[in-house]
Amino acid sequence: MDRETVERVARAAHIKLTEAELERYSKDLNDILSYFELLDEAPDCEESGVNPIEVADVLRDDEPRMDADPDVLLRGMDTYERYIRGPRLS
Amino acid sequence: MTMRSILSGLKETNAKYRMFHAMTEDSDPGDAKFLFSAKDNLTSADMETCSGSKILVGYRPPFDAESIAKMRAAGGKLIGKCNMDEFGFGTFSTNSGLEIPRNPYDLERACGGSSGGSACAAAVFEGHVSLGVSTGGSICCPASFCGVYGIAPTYGRVSRYGLIDYGNSLDKIGVISADAKDLRKYTHIIAGKDAKDPTSCAQPEFKDTGRKLKSVAIPKEGVEGLSKDVEKAFFEAVERLRSMGVDVESIDMPSLKYAMPAYYVLATSEASTNLARYVGMRYGQQEGDHSLKFDDYFSYFRSKYFGDEAKRRILLGTYTRMAGFRDRYYAKALKVRQVVIKDYKRAFETHDAVLAPTMPFSAPRFDDISGMSALDSYKADYLTVPANIAGTPHISVPCGYGSDGMPIGMQFVADHWDEEVLFDAAEEWEKGFEMRKPEVGA
Repeated sequence: MDRETVERVARAAHIKLTEAELERYSKDLNDILSYFELLDEAPDCEESGVNPIEVADVLRDDEPRMDADPDVLLRGMDTYERYIRGPRLS
Repeated sequence: MTMRSILSGLKETNAKYRMFHAMTEDSDPGDAKFLFSAKDNLTSADMETCSGSKILVGYRPPFDAESIAKMRAAGGKLIGKCNMDEFGFGTFSTNSGLEIPRNPYDLERACGGSSGGSACAAAVFEGHVSLGVSTGGSICCPASFCGVYGIAPTYGRVSRYGLIDYGNSLDKIGVISADAKDLRKYTHIIAGKDAKDPTSCAQPEFKDTGRKLKSVAIPKEGVEGLSKDVEKAFFEAVERLRSMGVDVESIDMPSLKYAMPAYYVLATSEASTNLARYVGMRYGQQEGDHSLKFDDYFSYFRSKYFGDEAKRRILLGTYTRMAGFRDRYYAKALKVRQVVIKDYKRAFETHDAVLAPTMPFSAPRFDDISGMSALDSYKADYLTVPANIAGTPHISVPCGYGSDGMPIGMQFVADHWDEEVLFDAAEEWEKGFEMRKPEVGA
């Protein structure tokens, strides 16, 4: 993975890297991805699930309920009149 | 050690071993039936929960994780939240943004990761049980390094509600204790269907309690690359198993060598999406400048508070999911998972369990760990990741001690939902095994 790709990936992940980090992660990720080439020779398989076991959909009754007190949920958050503060969007 | 004496000496003991990030102030156990601790990626309503990360400092969850709630309902008193690798990202519990636990057998050595504080607590406090979480080996590795028993049950056996996710398709909550009998007892307490975690709702009842272990298969790939101490202790343990009437056969499991890269692709892919929620709002640190544009605000927090290994895994996981690379890495890793499961199922047709050493070496010194590259550290997981990627239950039992006195563990893997044969194996093994205890004290 070259430096430009590492920079592009870091931008997508919302992480700003210093020059030293860019250097270090480029090398580390290259070493790791080279090792991952082992996957190219791994046997193929028709099955491909995202879970290691079979998982059935579980649906609950569509009834309104209160799982948690909103005031407790807001505890420790930066709030203004029960809204959560955030940065500007543009 | 009584419950009261453990509580009254808690701060002093923690100052020596650093197993807890947060702990109770109580010195009176009240009407508690037992004391327990929990890895700090399980939410607790009465203690800060940071998952080993600076980005979550200050986070006070409004609810208990289901596993913690069940332990409390059974009469347990939560005494501490255990130090760990940041979000579970590590093999030695040294990738922590907070405190690094010390091995009770040698304070200059690691406890193993990522449930290092949990294994440390189980080794230090008498009669103690700790909840750990395994994604790629994070229960069995520290259990092995700290000389205690640990089980990672089948994926989906224990509700993950209230667990701070690392890899959703891999995370499993389990039990660590110095007493093998505790593993069955407390796994039964925390297991069960929970509508708040649909993956727990596919589970069958536990199979017949007390099913005996009659035969094990040892994969040739699982006894390669071992240190001399581990090799000696493991094969002496195999002889003892034979003397206990267990049939032992050597088998080929060629897919095991692909499990490690497949695991790191799946784990980092899932982690990179799970960690997208930590942006300086709602959880933990929130001291940012709201006049910043949201992109810059989010980047400020993530760059400042995520540790080195967290950033590395986020970058790796983001890359392997990107258009153009997804099929080569993520899609292929999903297929490899199925190949590994098939290999295990084939072994279970003729054997009760698959056996290998838990780790290829005993607990390393901190100065040796600091010289390891990220890839060196990932490679150290090659014995624990196959069972984790397959979601099969696995248990680490102490099987001997190295020439330096450090504990060594071996790991039994059983078929999905067949924890009972593992509990029996551990309990039978414990009878007559000369278990050493670390010299503890504040």
